[in-house]
Amino acid sequence: MTWLAEQFGILSKIFYYLIQVVHWTVLISVLAYLLALICGLVFGIARISRNRFIRSIAGAYINVLRGVPLLVLIFFFYFGLGKFVNLDRFVAGVLAVGVCYGAYMAEIFRSGIEAIDYGQHEAAMSLGMTRWQTLRHIILPQSFRIVVAPGANEFIACLKDSSLVSIIGLRELTRAGREYANQYFLDFHTWLMVGIIYLIMTLTLTRLVKRLEKRFAIHGYGVTRHDN
Amino acid sequence: MIIDIKNIVCRFGEIVALDDISLSVDHGEVVVILGPSGSGKSTLLRCLNALEEIQSGEINVDGFLIDRNHRQIHQIRLEVGMVFQQFNLFPHLTVIENVNLAQRVVRKRSRTEAARVSTELLNKVELADKTEAFPGQLSGGQKQRVAIARALAMNPKIMLFDEVTSALDPEMIGEVLEVMKQLAAEGMTMLIVTHEIGFAREVADRVIFIDEGKIVEQAAPRQFFTNPTNQRTKDFLAHVL
Ligand SMILES: Nc1ncnc2c1ncn2[C@@H]1O[C@H](COP(=O)(O)OP(=O)(O)OP(=O)(O)O)[C@@H](O)[C@H]1O
Ligand SMILES: [Mg+2]
Repeated sequence: MTWLAEQFGILSKIFYYLIQVVHWTVLISVLAYLLALICGLVFGIARISRNRFIRSIAGAYINVLRGVPLLVLIFFFYFGLGKFVNLDRFVAGVLAVGVCYGAYMAEIFRSGIEAIDYGQHEAAMSLGMTRWQTLRHIILPQSFRIVVAPGANEFIACLKDSSLVSIIGLRELTRAGREYANQYFLDFHTWLMVGIIYLIMTLTLTRLVKRLEKRFAIHGYGVTRHDN
Repeated sequence: MIIDIKNIVCRFGEIVALDDISLSVDHGEVVVILGPSGSGKSTLLRCLNALEEIQSGEINVDGFLIDRNHRQIHQIRLEVGMVFQQFNLFPHLTVIENVNLAQRVVRKRSRTEAARVSTELLNKVELADKTEAFPGQLSGGQKQRVAIARALAMNPKIMLFDEVTSALDPEMIGEVLEVMKQLAAEGMTMLIVTHEIGFAREVADRVIFIDEGKIVEQAAPRQFFTNPTNQRTKDFLAHVL
């Protein structure tokens, strides 16, 4: 009994220690994800531009960033670019994760746009709408329903991958865990707790995504089962 | 003369969908286009709405021009409304929003002005009670009437109809044809691709028969249906009548 109480005491101590830095993990993930959304939208649309040059730039962005390990990107932004511009660890970390996830988001947005029936484009064009007006008023609102679940899942992945920025000394959840483990030689307890905290966040988010998915799949835009 | 098509050619790779077609249409004229599957009927309508590119020739719609040097696509699309076989309503918008949208963003009408026009047109196609419904909640016939109202809301001078009743259950065909007859009676210039021969006889001022991308025969409906001159027209009519 006392053993169990002792274990519990250790774990809760670690928990309170870690919980004080968890906002950094959240902040990094949220900012990186916002950047990813912007990059994703811009490059996802650029990927299907009528202009070949724009198309190939977007293609290059997507393929390069998806083809390089995130860890290497983080090193590149912090140490590599750090040779020329003074990038704060936080900024470098967020940029690296953001542009990397931007590439994944771009593919999600692209497929969301391409999933919309071509007849929708034609109907809009025949009404005299420009490509931009069509995208903004017709295509993107419909794509939204398709991309919302995969897009939100990328946030969960982004949250987990934010642990990689610990390597450049950004004191978020994983980094703090490492410090604690090294200081008190409590590797098992510490890493167990770090894992549990990530798990609490990801499981909560997964449930949220499920709800989003349901909401937009069934009630979305009044498209009912009578649809034909 | 509101439409003047001169020697247009439209190719898709090796396929010649329109092979040197010339056609003029007068103000208020109703032209029905017949022809076997793959003969180029849809392509002809789509060229008139600049949805397909032409490789040579020119299209003049009420003074606006599409040819190799002129691509007044936007102006032409404003003149020409199109209704599709597959409705292509915007599923995320209500019926009235479907009709409002292009008026707002293309014609730059105010919210109230757009709503006034939409309500009037939805009354006209007898859908006043469906304004707040989503397309997914409508029958095929209702959807197609919304699509017609949506096109009319832009005040086009010409309306194109591409097999607009082909995807409908038989009992709904009549309600859509009724709306089209009314439009014809009001003097709208119309180009109609259809398989409804009875309807063609009744409303057409002229019937055109297309085969393999060429206009094979054209005549007033009485002449066309009772006394066709071309052998291919005869074969086709024997098939459909
Ligand atoms: N986007 C396209 N790409 C390639 N070929 C096309 C395309 N659109 C049409 N075609 C071809 O052009 C020819 C004419 O097609 P079109 O759709 O105009 O025929 P249609 O008379 O409307 O036939 P249907 O009665 O079946 O609708 C056909 O051979 C068709 O396969
Ligand atoms: Mg066709």
